[in-house]
Amino acid sequence: MNILAIDTSCDETSVAVTDGRRVLSNVIYSQVLLHKKWGGVVPSIAKRAHEERIDFVVEEALKKFSIFNFQFSMKRIDCIAVTQGPGLAVALEVGIKKAKELAEKYQKKIISVNHLEGHIYSAFVENSQGNPKRNFKFPYLALIVSGGHTEFVIFKDHLEYEVIGSTLDDAAGEALDKAAKLLGLGYPGGPVIERLAKDAGNIDGHNFPRPMLRSKDLNFSFSGLKTSFYYFLKKNPSMISEVKLLASSFQEAVFDTLIKKTEMAMKQTGINKLVIGGGVVANMRLRKLMRDLAKKYHGEALFPSYKYLTGDNAAMIGVVAGYKAEKNLFVDKIDELDRIPRMNL
Amino acid sequence: MRIIKLNSNNINQVINNTISVLRSNGLVVFPSDTVYGLLCDATNERAVKKLILFKERPAGKPISVFSNFSLINELTTISNQQSKTLKQILPGPFTIILPSKHKVNKLLESETGTLGIRVPMYRYIELLVGQFKKPITATSANLAGRSPYYSIKSLLNGLTEKQKKLIDLVIDAGDLPRNKPSTVVDLTQSDVKVLRQGDISFSNNSKIFLTETSEETKNIAKQIFIGLRTIHKLSLRIKPLIFIIEGEMGVGKTVFVKGIGEQLGIKNIISPTFVIYYEYGNFYHFDLYNIENNEEFKHLGLKKFLKPGNILCFEWGEKAGEIINILKEKGNVIYVRMNYINEKERKITVNF
Repeated sequence: MNILAIDTSCDETSVAVTDGRRVLSNVIYSQVLLHKKWGGVVPSIAKRAHEERIDFVVEEALKKFSIFNFQFSMKRIDCIAVTQGPGLAVALEVGIKKAKELAEKYQKKIISVNHLEGHIYSAFVENSQGNPKRNFKFPYLALIVSGGHTEFVIFKDHLEYEVIGSTLDDAAGEALDKAAKLLGLGYPGGPVIERLAKDAGNIDGHNFPRPMLRSKDLNFSFSGLKTSFYYFLKKNPSMISEVKLLASSFQEAVFDTLIKKTEMAMKQTGINKLVIGGGVVANMRLRKLMRDLAKKYHGEALFPSYKYLTGDNAAMIGVVAGYKAEKNLFVDKIDELDRIPRMNL
Repeated sequence: MRIIKLNSNNINQVINNTISVLRSNGLVVFPSDTVYGLLCDATNERAVKKLILFKERPAGKPISVFSNFSLINELTTISNQQSKTLKQILPGPFTIILPSKHKVNKLLESETGTLGIRVPMYRYIELLVGQFKKPITATSANLAGRSPYYSIKSLLNGLTEKQKKLIDLVIDAGDLPRNKPSTVVDLTQSDVKVLRQGDISFSNNSKIFLTETSEETKNIAKQIFIGLRTIHKLSLRIKPLIFIIEGEMGVGKTVFVKGIGEQLGIKNIISPTFVIYYEYGNFYHFDLYNIENNEEFKHLGLKKFLKPGNILCFEWGEKAGEIINILKEKGNVIYVRMNYINEKERKITVNF
């Protein structure tokens, strides 16, 4: 079943064609690409930016999927999947509007997908050749760590989730971004912090606080860490020259919190198989720590196999939609489909 | 004259360059929490004379200095009572007049030997003073008696060639948010005297709260909200209620919004930084942290949220710039300013 999937949840316009778990084409139009192609600055998160590029991205995705023209390619599409939330309201709207338009014009059904489901499934997304081959061995303990989310979910079976913990304030990726900004490193800060931390040997020289570790629940809070980091820089402005050590210490504080909470979740649920998705798992240090943790409990840790799958992308949305299609979970009244910015699993 | 554009990546470089110009007695045009300022080493006579030449300022008219809390005691004589008052209002858009200890160049002091002190809530100035470790002149970069500048372009247009030659370095932070110049408060008299009214007014409709925990912060937010609801009960039906929350990273802005949310029965509020805003029914939670320019505000479609009955919270309200006027026109705006007192304690100032 060929699915045309659209994701416009935040600042990337993405369209993919998937068949089951295989990704036949995937186009992501990010700000970075825009800068490269047109050399101009376009408001990254703006509705208009999505609106301007959505048609182009749909066309590109279809072109990569089949050599035929647009009309004919659409004939080979069985249904349309779209992200309904969570995300930026005005951005989500653009994708949903486009999905409705295509559904009406080409007489297709629509499947709405929660963006977080996409991240959970991202470790199981395959390339067009069907690699990597990973069988589902439910249940999994899923952790979504990105700029907008930090959530623990029990992934019980296909499309069956139970959220058992989430952030009460900032997401882990957001904490890293903000620390980077305080250090004058720019946005997005995660990759720069990772590089600097690696240069410093990933050591923890400052022992910044690990928030929420004393509480027994599985929620996160990163705002206290952010405050103490801010205050540290304010008290020791000259320390800013030791940027590598600071980046490393901050990253260790965030990751140590993630690891300890994940261990707590493994103990509480008795699940030793981890799936981890979201932008922060692009970080190799976090992957290593998670792998070591899983090993300790004789389990395994699965991550997205390709880098583009860690960020926002439509491929993972299409893969989820494939499972939804099997269960006939199509949108009933297409007219009433609306974005849900704070959508829960 | 060298111009450096300030961006989030070059803070360190900008601070270092500025300090080296200040050390060699140069003049720097630098952004502040209010207007573009003209900076020089306040302890160096050559630099100060250059500044006065630039400003075409009549001799004997004092010029205030940027300082921080630890420098205030070195620069001025200050009583415990005054120290208490200062902790309540600083950092902020105030110029405080105090008896000088004559550590700065005397040309900056008034005829009666007083000195104007500024401790702004503005990170670049904080960093600069912290690293330079000396007071820096804090006069606006306009001629005496002329209106101040909010952008480098308009500033450069207004200067003569001779004046341009006097400036060594310009730090361009783009358009400043058009705050008024600071409010001048004279603490040398027995009762507090306001000499120039800036943006912040000492009206009766201002309240200060202190908090030590996030629970307390939430409770204060709830109290304020309940109080306002009774005041604005009728007007809420006519205009939306808007909170503009200012304060530095980690000070507790999201916690404050969570408090208001809880009062409304919304329990799942998280930071909207990543997606700019989240909506919860008629409650909207914005975070302007990632907004880089005015163009991006247009895409938020703000006007459609400014409906009677809606409640809007804006974190990083200081970035709201131009839209503040639209908000004021269409809604009842409550200003909430959150300051660090120390790592644990916060001061919350509410203006309504």
